[in-house]
Amino acid sequence: MKVKIKQWNGVASWLWVANDENCGICRAPFNGCCPDCKVPGDDCPLVWGQCSHCFHMHCILKWLNSQQVQQQCPMCRQEWKFKE
Amino acid sequence: MTIVYNLSGNERGAVNAAGTVKSLGHSDICTDEVLSDALALLGNHGLGQYVEGWLLETLQVRLTTSVAPEFWTELKQPEGESQERDRASALLKAFRNLLQQLEPFLGGLERLGSWQDESRGGLCGPGARGLTERAFSVIRAILLFSPPLVLQERVLEFYSRTFSVHMSQAGEAVEAEEGTTEHDEGGLCPGCAALLHLCWCQEALEQLQELSHILSRLQLLERVSSEAVTSILHKLIEQRMEQRCRGEYESSFLTDFNDWLGQVLGWLSRVFASKVEEAGSDATPTDGKMGHPTSALLQRWHCHMHQFFCRIYVNMRIEELFSIIRDFPESIPAIEDLKFCLERTNQRQQLLASLKSAFETRLLHPGVHTSDILTVYISAIKALRELDPSMVILQVACQPIRKYLRTREDTVRQIVGSLTGDAEGCSDLANELSRADPVTLETQDSEDEGSDPEDWTPDPTDALADKTGSKRRSSDIISLLVSIYGSKEIFINEYKTVLADRLLHQLNYNTAREIRNVELLKLRFGESHMHYCEVMLKDVADSRRINTNIREEESRLPVEEQATLPLSAMIISSEFWPQLKEEKMELPAVASKAMEDYTHRFEKLKAMRTLRWKPHLGSVTLDVELEDRTIANLTVTPIHAAIILHFQDKGTWTLEELSGVLGVPQEMVRRKLALWQQQGVLREEAGGRYVVQETSSCRERSDRGVMLIESDEEGDSNTATQSEQREEKLQLFWAYIQAMLTNLESMTLERIHSMLRMFVAAGPGVTEMDVNELQAFLQRKVRAHQLIVSTGVYRLPKTTQ
Repeated sequence: MKVKIKQWNGVASWLWVANDENCGICRAPFNGCCPDCKVPGDDCPLVWGQCSHCFHMHCILKWLNSQQVQQQCPMCRQEWKFKE
Repeated sequence: MTIVYNLSGNERGAVNAAGTVKSLGHSDICTDEVLSDALALLGNHGLGQYVEGWLLETLQVRLTTSVAPEFWTELKQPEGESQERDRASALLKAFRNLLQQLEPFLGGLERLGSWQDESRGGLCGPGARGLTERAFSVIRAILLFSPPLVLQERVLEFYSRTFSVHMSQAGEAVEAEEGTTEHDEGGLCPGCAALLHLCWCQEALEQLQELSHILSRLQLLERVSSEAVTSILHKLIEQRMEQRCRGEYESSFLTDFNDWLGQVLGWLSRVFASKVEEAGSDATPTDGKMGHPTSALLQRWHCHMHQFFCRIYVNMRIEELFSIIRDFPESIPAIEDLKFCLERTNQRQQLLASLKSAFETRLLHPGVHTSDILTVYISAIKALRELDPSMVILQVACQPIRKYLRTREDTVRQIVGSLTGDAEGCSDLANELSRADPVTLETQDSEDEGSDPEDWTPDPTDALADKTGSKRRSSDIISLLVSIYGSKEIFINEYKTVLADRLLHQLNYNTAREIRNVELLKLRFGESHMHYCEVMLKDVADSRRINTNIREEESRLPVEEQATLPLSAMIISSEFWPQLKEEKMELPAVASKAMEDYTHRFEKLKAMRTLRWKPHLGSVTLDVELEDRTIANLTVTPIHAAIILHFQDKGTWTLEELSGVLGVPQEMVRRKLALWQQQGVLREEAGGRYVVQETSSCRERSDRGVMLIESDEEGDSNTATQSEQREEKLQLFWAYIQAMLTNLESMTLERIHSMLRMFVAAGPGVTEMDVNELQAFLQRKVRAHQLIVSTGVYRLPKTTQ
């Protein structure tokens, strides 16, 4: 007997490769989106800091904009620098 | 005349005069002159005032002693004789004689009355009008003091006959006649039901006319006829309606009946012929024209008839209302008729009660499928909307349906299914959804400020008091259905599940229909509520793009590196989809390798993101090539594919082996194997071994045994059912409950409920959970020995502490 697979339609869910479930700022799941967004994934990406903490991009930008003096990671208070 | 001897001379003369006056009763014998003389004489003796009393007295005595008994015996005489015609003429004869007997008195009275009017001979008294009135009441009183039934029977019979004669002459085949066998016998007159050569129709009509004259002369017409006429009309309208309208909802009967009632009025004008003449009608009483304006009596009867008709019609339709609703929209004419008549009779309460109980006995029991209940409910909404634009009947009568639907588990799914047009034969809701200018559920509750106060109409009195006004009473089918549960969230969640199911089942990325549905639902439920569904649809579109992308990339690879298994994926945003069933399953190497490759390519495409496969979901299209045959283009679930792939490597497997290699319980494997057995690819051998059946020679034989095993794939849903989700939510509470009971030792049900409300109020679940549900949940825990209950107090069992 020979089985010939013509088409395999699978189902998968995507997820961010992050060290946490939820965004530390908005507390929403990373796999969802930040409160301002409607659509997760490409439209509401995550960003990582050099301190290895990650947030929704929109969340951390909002946070950094609100910081007067020094831009720090809200989790570890180190100076915030984008990874890469 | 014994008293005469005791009288003085003067008085003797008076008595002589009285003898003369007595002949007032035989006016044809005496001349006017003689009478006047006698009267003058009486007046001279001061006895003029007694004349009137004496005359009435004589009338009374005559009536009691001879006239009335004679009349009754005459009426009863032809007893035992069966000829209707004879009975009719006997009736007439009796009345004729009665008139003959009384005519002298009447004449005398008239004369006396007119003298009184002229005050001739010093006479005074109530005058002609008053006198005759008195005389007639004496006649009525004595004659009809206790009329034997026979009169009523005779009159009824006679009137019925003349009625049918009239109706048949009025150019209508009288079917409404009593005794329906008559049609079958040939050669019968349709009017009098006698053999044609013996037809006495004309005679009957003449008799009727004469009788009417006699009766009206005696002022007995209404006395004698009213009851008979009423009962005839009632009976005939009922009969006709029974024959014409019962079970017949597709045409209107109002005009038909109006014409018919017009003809009946013609008959009535014959019955009350002389009255009409007296009323100064210039229409000949027999011409059958209806409703002559001058004849108030006929007008009154016309109103009566109409009232009868409405009442009888409403009664019948109330009885049939359930069927009428079921047949909607074909039954619109019946509903319009009913509406017309219902406005004229005060029977709304009766209608409500009857409809409610019809729903309860015919619809709301376990034997009826939910979709059928919904179909009837929708028809009821539409039908009652026509019947009662204030919606009160709808609201009150459908209360039981709504209550009952709330107890059915599959209600929401059925509604959502028919909303999106999957439910077969139930496109009503789908049409309703796509209707232009929908009522949005958002704005519906708010005060409608745009409406003109002039247009306000008060609620009917039977409206439910708890509803604040007719504004709130919606006639919109979808809002009514959605409001069964009081919240639209349940519907939206259910729709999400249905949508997820459908997207995962078809897997062809063709979402045009779903997009349309979501857009339509957005108009109803508001944009924000349908947000999740939009993300789901976007996932489908994204997946298609990613697939194309990855395919392209693959095709650029050298042939030997290309995937052996053409894999495409539906990549979903897990946060936005309903919870999918989690099942563990090991796929064969070739499939898992393909998925791994796919994941790598995805990771390359989308930085910092990866895929988590749900191996049991999806579908596989494959060909099975056996030695002597090929089963082509079979679409199966991944687990079926995995099983058959394993058989490709090795021809014989036991259940244990398969279960081990797939990581799936044996029971499940056995169920899945059934499909391949049905297809004749696999065969179960002794010792629980499954082998590939390469040749079809003995296929027929094995088929028989296997066909019985049901392959259960089609109905399977990929998403967890509502009750499962619910159960999960309750499990969440279990942790809280355990903690509370550990700290507080024991608690009552109410306490637990209120504590949960306090602590877990943020969660969406607890607001929807009522005490009963919690109690049921705790009972289950008690049965599972995880909880102890005694005298209404819950505590944890000792061992777990």
